[in-house]
Amino acid sequence: MTDTRLIHTVGVGALEWLWAHRDGFRLEPDADPEVGFLERFKPVGELALICKVLFREGVAGSRQARLARQLLDHAWRDTLDGGTMLVRGQRTEPISPIPFEVYLPFRELGYSQLELERAVALNHRLDSWQAYETPPTRRLALSAFQRRFGLTPRPPEPEALRPTWLARTPEPWTVEGHIAYDITHCVFHLTDWGENPDGLPPDLVGYLTTWLPAWIDDWLDLERWDLLGELLVVDACLPRPTLDEPAWRAFAAAQRPDGAMPAIRTMPEGDEQEVFDIVYHSTLVAAFASVLATSRALTELARAS
Amino acid sequence: MEQSGTSTRLQAAVQDLASGVVSALRGGGHTRAVLPAWTDGEAGDLALAAVRVLGADAMLPSLLLGVPPDPAEVAVFRKAVEAHPPRADAAPTVRWSHWGMARTLRRIDPSFSSGPPDEPGTGWLDEAGWQSLTHQLAVLAPLALPGEDCAVSRAAVRRPVDVARGFVRAVRRRDWRQAAGAGRWLTLLPGVPGTLGLESGLDFVELMGGQDPQVVLHVQAARLTRTGARV
Repeated sequence: MTDTRLIHTVGVGALEWLWAHRDGFRLEPDADPEVGFLERFKPVGELALICKVLFREGVAGSRQARLARQLLDHAWRDTLDGGTMLVRGQRTEPISPIPFEVYLPFRELGYSQLELERAVALNHRLDSWQAYETPPTRRLALSAFQRRFGLTPRPPEPEALRPTWLARTPEPWTVEGHIAYDITHCVFHLTDWGENPDGLPPDLVGYLTTWLPAWIDDWLDLERWDLLGELLVVDACLPRPTLDEPAWRAFAAAQRPDGAMPAIRTMPEGDEQEVFDIVYHSTLVAAFASVLATSRALTELARAS
Repeated sequence: MEQSGTSTRLQAAVQDLASGVVSALRGGGHTRAVLPAWTDGEAGDLALAAVRVLGADAMLPSLLLGVPPDPAEVAVFRKAVEAHPPRADAAPTVRWSHWGMARTLRRIDPSFSSGPPDEPGTGWLDEAGWQSLTHQLAVLAPLALPGEDCAVSRAAVRRPVDVARGFVRAVRRRDWRQAAGAGRWLTLLPGVPGTLGLESGLDFVELMGGQDPQVVLHVQAARLTRTGARV
């Protein structure tokens, strides 16, 4: 099994980089209407979802837990202006689910924005929200988020799961990059981003246990660190994670000394913001994979002793 | 330059031979001679070398279709078996390939009286990770014959999921020859996960890599195996 310290160290470095570059999580209130104001909410939502896991998992270490909480505070207070920006986004595009998706992890940690709550409750009643056209994995995400918000999921999650790629357990040799991201995100939503591994139905556990090693090997070989990191998260969500040693060693070796994780092969060069936009996600994923895998490694150790 | 010229000519000879085997397999019971009838001179050396590269598959139509081989072909095959026995320090795949040829020769040539050669070891396969296992098995795909037992096939039978993962890996890497060889083994193994979609997978490998007659040879062998051919 992979050295737990190696896995843990990846997350420590990644979180330090995210904290040092927290201003990269920024909105663009004057965005071109063609691009849309809500376009830049996605990184903030991902930051919140993953930092919530980091904050909640006891294995992260006290400095990591503190940094995760500070990042969440920063994102809420500064980036989202105490939630005001979420309301502004909602008023710009009233039917968009994006402000709701970004708000959810903050709400679960006790942050609150009452006007947005009212908008969510209203939208949830609309047929238009249920009819809102999305790829199947996003639809599953919306149903899962509605449940987490305390609403009745529309459609129910089993129904939302059915049309996803993963639910149909197709030929594993057809998986390419886009499909692989659909798989990882399907797992994230089924497990509440790793908080509830039991959310994976048994047939999907069997399918993933069988084929995940082949996919990990493939994207390791291609040095696609962003996708590899997500696949390592999926591994950590399985009942018997492999904590694949060659993959974790190469993943750790790809990380830069300042904690940044390149998305593909090596770090890009250029303007600081451009570099941030390329690597923030892979670095967040590195922190995410690290904390879940560390947690699983410690559980395995406890079980063995 | 001369080295690379020889290597190119050998590759061409192997591809020609593989194409001949594929035609014979497709021809069903109407097997025609695949191996060249002469083995003298430089061209003969090349032909024998090509037979050795293809291994037991050079006689695959006789094995899978049950058609008695042409005596002249048997003589050529026998010469290929006897001319260059592997050295003691040869790679395991080379020794196993030779073993497979000798086994085939005993089956098709009753006058080949030398006793069955001892099976080389399989320790290197048992210790291999699934990636390397699949690669080595694909190299030894001529040993993947229905109803034939040997230590390599027993090693494969023990690890159907690993070989299936290796098939996925080979397809993803567009290593069609490895994928076809792995797929040929998988048609013989019990316990292959149903979600692999092996039958369509082999069709896909042929569609994408079918310009290579060695790919088509393995795919054809797998299809004949699936339809119940028995050696």
